[in-house]
Amino acid sequence: MYSGPVIDCDVHHARSTDAELIPYLSKGWRDYVTDRGPAGNVPLTVQDGFPNPHGFMRADTYPKGGGEPGSDYPTMRDQLLAASDVRRAILTFGDDSHLAGHHNPYFAAELARATNDWSVERWLSQDSRLFSSIMVGSQLPEVAADEVRRHAANPRMVQVMLVDNPFNRGFGHPIFHPIYAAAQETGRPVAIHGGAGGWANPPSTGGGSVSTYFETHVLWPQAIQTHLVSFIAHGVFEKYPRLRIVLIEGGSAWIPSLLWRFDTEYKGLRREVPWLKRLPSEYFARHVWVTTQPLEVAPKKENVVDLLRSQNLEDRLVYSSDYPHWDADEIDYLTTRLPADWHHRVFFGNACRLYGWKEEDVEETRAVAEKAR
Amino acid sequence: MGAVSDFEDHRLRIVTAGKHEVGVLRWHDRFYAIHNRCPHQSGPVCLGIVSGRLSSQAPGSMEVDEETPVLSCPWHGWEFELERGRALWDPSYAVKMVPVRVESDRVVLEVGRTAG
Repeated sequence: MYSGPVIDCDVHHARSTDAELIPYLSKGWRDYVTDRGPAGNVPLTVQDGFPNPHGFMRADTYPKGGGEPGSDYPTMRDQLLAASDVRRAILTFGDDSHLAGHHNPYFAAELARATNDWSVERWLSQDSRLFSSIMVGSQLPEVAADEVRRHAANPRMVQVMLVDNPFNRGFGHPIFHPIYAAAQETGRPVAIHGGAGGWANPPSTGGGSVSTYFETHVLWPQAIQTHLVSFIAHGVFEKYPRLRIVLIEGGSAWIPSLLWRFDTEYKGLRREVPWLKRLPSEYFARHVWVTTQPLEVAPKKENVVDLLRSQNLEDRLVYSSDYPHWDADEIDYLTTRLPADWHHRVFFGNACRLYGWKEEDVEETRAVAEKAR
Repeated sequence: MGAVSDFEDHRLRIVTAGKHEVGVLRWHDRFYAIHNRCPHQSGPVCLGIVSGRLSSQAPGSMEVDEETPVLSCPWHGWEFELERGRALWDPSYAVKMVPVRVESDRVVLEVGRTAG
């Protein structure tokens, strides 16, 4: 068991209705969205995806007063923050996280701006333990960079989040670089969240489109792998040497295999990427963090631990619950799968390093939150 | 091994020296000799391509250092700089270099010794 401090790096806060977000749109976009007469408003979220036969949410997370899971702060507080010693939670949005899947790039940019403002006003104001991702409409990378800079002075807007892929190019492609310039300049990590396939995107499965949620969920790591390889091969970490990235919800046990292959390929194919100055695994070790959920489950748990240890991932894994989603990993469960001497690092210390926090400051944040309650 | 003029610039020529095959390279007015065996999977490394070291100051740029010859093994493309024989990605990993010098306008190998 683990009773120490926790930083949860993937908490999906959501809204129940479009009406919650519409006031945050500019007047022009509000009219565009709402002036449709009996047709109702233009949908604000991307309308696509694979249905989960159980639903995407844990049944126990539906708020008693109605609304969507993740949409009600008191419910989240009681079920997640108070259930263990959560000092900080990184909010990662619900369906709005897919806004880069919109076909209309201008609408996506406006939605990103509105969504971020909604997150600050509706959520960060309620509890000092809450921190938010910055959503960007990556369809327009320069505009997305401006959106990142707009939040530079707010220390609780802690990372830039990419999910959907508007260009069918790995996220290391130079077309995305303005976003990374802004992330480095403002000291924010870039978070790459799994699950973009099957929306208004190119398929995230390398061999082609799949047919069921079952398949796409098994294959979520593929897109994360593509983006990781792309980041390193394009020399993003040479161009932005202070940039950090965190891979969310893509698993982790595959990382050693990929890095072994990556290093070997580099030895023979360096001529194609001479801007790389070190082995791919060295860039990974310097720049990349990985969330725990979903931790791969092997019949012998030590098999997974050995793989993770082979890349020193005990110093790079950061705990994530994925609350309130159906496949969330509980802290008590994870403590049975990971060695005890990893717990403090994985549940707390590694995330402090990722976000540039001093552990004593995080302690103080908790004290303030408790006092406020 | 022969007169300097027998060696074409920028070309590796494989010669037999004692029990070994050695690739002799003339690079401008310098000579390099490499044991023809890649440390990776024992491939005939001297059948590979020699070129100036390709480098880059920033993603997307390609620059060539003509002063630094690099040998790529034909089996897997692993690259070795020929001043010391070191792999470009790990200086502790190397092809075996054979001492070579020019004496009275002739190329002389010191077989049995290891250079660098």
